[in-house]
Amino acid sequence: MVVYNFKKIQTVPTSTEFVDVVLSRTQRKTPTVVHKGYAITRIRAFYMRKVKYTQSTFHEKLTQILDDFPRLEELHPFYADLINVLYDRDHYKLALGQLAKARSLVDGIAKDYLKLLKYGDSLYRCKQLKRAALGRMCTLMKRHTSSLQYLEQVRQHMGRLPSIDPATRTLLVAGFPNVGKSSFMNKVTRADVDVQPYAFTTKSLFVGHMDYKYLRWQVIDTPGILDHSLEERNTIEMQSITALAHLRAAVLFFIDPSEQCGYALHQQIELLRGMAPLFQNKPLIVVLNKTDLQWEEELSDEHRQALAALGPSVDQAVSSGNVESIDVDALLEMSQSKPDDQPAHVVMKMSSLSEQGIAQVRSVACDLLLRQRVDAKLRGKRMSGALNRLHVAQPAARDARRRPPVIPSSVQRKLDDLDKAAMATAAGTSDDEQENGDPDVTMDEDTPIRGEAKNPSLGRKLERDRMWELGGPGVFASDWRREYRDLQRAEWAYDIIPEIVDGHNIADFVDPDIEQKLLDLEREEEARVAAEEEVMEEEDEDGPVLTAEQLERVRAIREKRAVLRQESWMEKTKNRPSVPASRLGKRTRVEEHLEAHLNEMGMHEEDAQDVAEGIADKMPLRKAAKRRRLVEVEETETQMIERKEALDAAARKAGFANANQKAFAKKVAARKQAKIHARTRQHGDGDRHIPNLRPRHLFSGKRGMGKTQRR
Amino acid sequence: MPQGDYIDEHRKKYGRRFDYEEKERKKEARSVRVVASKAHSLTGIKAKLYNKQRFKEKAIMKKKINMHQQRNKKNKDADASADKDVKKGAVPGYLLDREEVTRSKVLSNTVKQKRKEKAGKWDVPLPKVRAVAEDEMFKVMKSGKRKNKEWKRVVTKATFVGDNFTRKPPKYERFIRPMGLRVKKANVTHPELQTTFCLDILGVKKNPQGQTYTQLGVITKGTVIEVNVSDLGLVTNSGKVVWSKYAQVMNNVENDGCVNARLLV
Ligand SMILES: Nc1nc2c(ncn2[C@@H]2O[C@H](COP(=O)(O)OP(=O)(O)OP(=O)(O)O)[C@@H](O)[C@H]2O)c(=O)[nH]1
Ligand SMILES: [Mg+2]
Repeated sequence: MVVYNFKKIQTVPTSTEFVDVVLSRTQRKTPTVVHKGYAITRIRAFYMRKVKYTQSTFHEKLTQILDDFPRLEELHPFYADLINVLYDRDHYKLALGQLAKARSLVDGIAKDYLKLLKYGDSLYRCKQLKRAALGRMCTLMKRHTSSLQYLEQVRQHMGRLPSIDPATRTLLVAGFPNVGKSSFMNKVTRADVDVQPYAFTTKSLFVGHMDYKYLRWQVIDTPGILDHSLEERNTIEMQSITALAHLRAAVLFFIDPSEQCGYALHQQIELLRGMAPLFQNKPLIVVLNKTDLQWEEELSDEHRQALAALGPSVDQAVSSGNVESIDVDALLEMSQSKPDDQPAHVVMKMSSLSEQGIAQVRSVACDLLLRQRVDAKLRGKRMSGALNRLHVAQPAARDARRRPPVIPSSVQRKLDDLDKAAMATAAGTSDDEQENGDPDVTMDEDTPIRGEAKNPSLGRKLERDRMWELGGPGVFASDWRREYRDLQRAEWAYDIIPEIVDGHNIADFVDPDIEQKLLDLEREEEARVAAEEEVMEEEDEDGPVLTAEQLERVRAIREKRAVLRQESWMEKTKNRPSVPASRLGKRTRVEEHLEAHLNEMGMHEEDAQDVAEGIADKMPLRKAAKRRRLVEVEETETQMIERKEALDAAARKAGFANANQKAFAKKVAARKQAKIHARTRQHGDGDRHIPNLRPRHLFSGKRGMGKTQRR
Repeated sequence: MPQGDYIDEHRKKYGRRFDYEEKERKKEARSVRVVASKAHSLTGIKAKLYNKQRFKEKAIMKKKINMHQQRNKKNKDADASADKDVKKGAVPGYLLDREEVTRSKVLSNTVKQKRKEKAGKWDVPLPKVRAVAEDEMFKVMKSGKRKNKEWKRVVTKATFVGDNFTRKPPKYERFIRPMGLRVKKANVTHPELQTTFCLDILGVKKNPQGQTYTQLGVITKGTVIEVNVSDLGLVTNSGKVVWSKYAQVMNNVENDGCVNARLLV
């Protein structure tokens, strides 16, 4: 479905704005620096780009305008005609046509000047050509000032047109001026139409919406129409005519028989006759408005007959005040089975001032339209297509036995009880239902009747019932605490519970199982205490028996342990620089401690030292090696000779005369190597560097200045 | 008031803000400062445009003020002179348009007229033009298989080439008039009617730069061209319809992309 929303059209700039926007865009979006010394191709390209860019901007902006405005051929005929009435079709098309022409002319100018720019042989000439091109484009746009202005006004007006959907269910309110069309509109919908006691208060179409039978209905209020020929009608009246001609809607033709509107009754009836062609194939309801002015008694016989001739009246239905009892089929039949060839309509009386009959008029109109739409749909092709595909299978009867659904007797009894209760309540409330004095029109008649005392189907009072008793929605606040059920005492439900206590939200600390948990904890503790007592008792019974001496020793051990622990803790936690053990001398702390300890224990001094050193020897290798170096070991003569011979042998294997020669060679080699390193700026043998003789960044990519061979 | 006009509707229902008028008045009063500060702070092209616009506005304003002042002065003068004596030589209103022409004036007018007629035959609106050097007029085109021959020339100005022109074989074609620079139409202004027509060019009568250019049909500033005026319906003294007339080109065609000419009458 097409949705007609003209709000999306973008603003149409004035011609000066247009030119300003386009030129400044060119200035911003294209390069701005060019010099005489540039290659001529570059200069040409610079200016050609400017011309081309300006042209494409013009093109884009004009296309935007042309696309935004709806094409009359593609619109619903209602909107096409409305635009014709309001803005003059010819003018509209001409304005758009001119812009389309301007667009192609701009393209042509750009093409011509690009061609000329190709022959530009100097910066000056190119610049002049560019200037001429842009100038001509701008002049062209200046010529369309009036078109742009007109389109902008049309846009502003179009954006404010009421969004009427031509396809949906619609009630169309028409009639002479001042007969009460807008008053009716204000009653049935929430549209706030101006109501004044003079003619032509409403000067354009107004749209409002209402609900009926769970459907959305669109109500259109039209300006008043006078009884004269089509040529004499002005723009205001033509809007109504357009709506009547093109919308498939139920028409409510308002007549004011009291003639308070300032137009004679026969004029109004004449208009109704005259407009007959526009009412074809539409449900038409003639509404005799302003019954509160008591015109029925004062009506002359002539007028009475004229009104009676209009069609079957639905007075009966109106007086009984029962909306549902109006039979649409009967109405249709009545209105169609008129003997003479004059078209007949449903005639209804109403007063929007005293609000009498409004709901009836509305529902009859809606029903008639709905019936017509459904009929049309049934007759349509799509419907038959769907029906052809439907098949309701009916199983063939196997035998003559009846097989009703099984309902257990207990359930059946309960259902019967419910029915009885419902009957009783219905009898009680039937009085309220019958006096339907104030027809609340904006509320749907189909919604459940409010204020019912008890819901009969459930048999108990619901919160909703309580709401109606205690002042209805908005006044009534539901009492949630009544539903607190798990409390030990019922009156606790209404205790005052603070939300915040000591800055804590108590809701954060609520634990529903707290009691249970507490009980569990207590039980556990009890069990543990009992177990401990049991163990104690057992120990008491057969624990180890110590002598006083032993006990003394145990005490001493414990004390000593405590002291050691304390010392080590102090050693560990001291926060000051300390000299590492290796710097303290040859004796490590472990050794010292051990020796002192052994002394203390009563060991002989020398023995203690030996033991301590022995233990220290077993310590990690590094420390042991250090110690060994400290202890001078005398080498014997033979040992020295042996060692020398071994070294010589090794040297001979490597091709030297002896170890000395080898050492010398090593020295010389090192010296020479050092020289080489000094020359090549190397730090050492490991400092090896392979230079990149053809660095990639110098030998790849673009090349400027000269050739590969010569540069 | 249409349905969508919610701003108007609101205004109608609730009116304007209580201080609306005061605010408007103040805004109006302050607008001068706003404009001044804008004029002061804008830079670049925006400043140029804005100042141009301001200049125009100011000129108009000045004119208006002058007019008012003059009117006031005149009124005062009129009031003052009402009671003075009538000046010598004053004429009543119904005789105002009958100008008394003095004899000397008639003579001088006839002399002027004659001089003008004599000169008119040879007079053109642009009597002098800048000389265009040959290397500006022609570009050398290299030809030959090795592109080492330089005897061909390309015309760099706009040219008129008649309908019946056929190219010589390229071997003998010394002057090339590029297609992109050929023109067929000219915007011709009639100096008396002060209107401009877009007319067909029939030929180049004379190019002030020289005979060769005339023959080549080069159109530069000051060139006299022949245009087709049959559509204008001009008639000679003897009652014949004029088909063509001469016009002088007033612009640099190659720079503007169009030929603007003035009819010689
Ligand atoms: N007594 C009486 N007056 C009514 C009734 N309906 C409308 N009016 C009055 O009639 C006058 C015109 O009402 P509108 O609703 O503006 O009439 P309209 O047909 O919309 O008029 P236009 O928009 O000008 O075509 C107002 O002064 C209403 O108060 C009615 O049922 N009874
Ligand atoms: Mg109205």
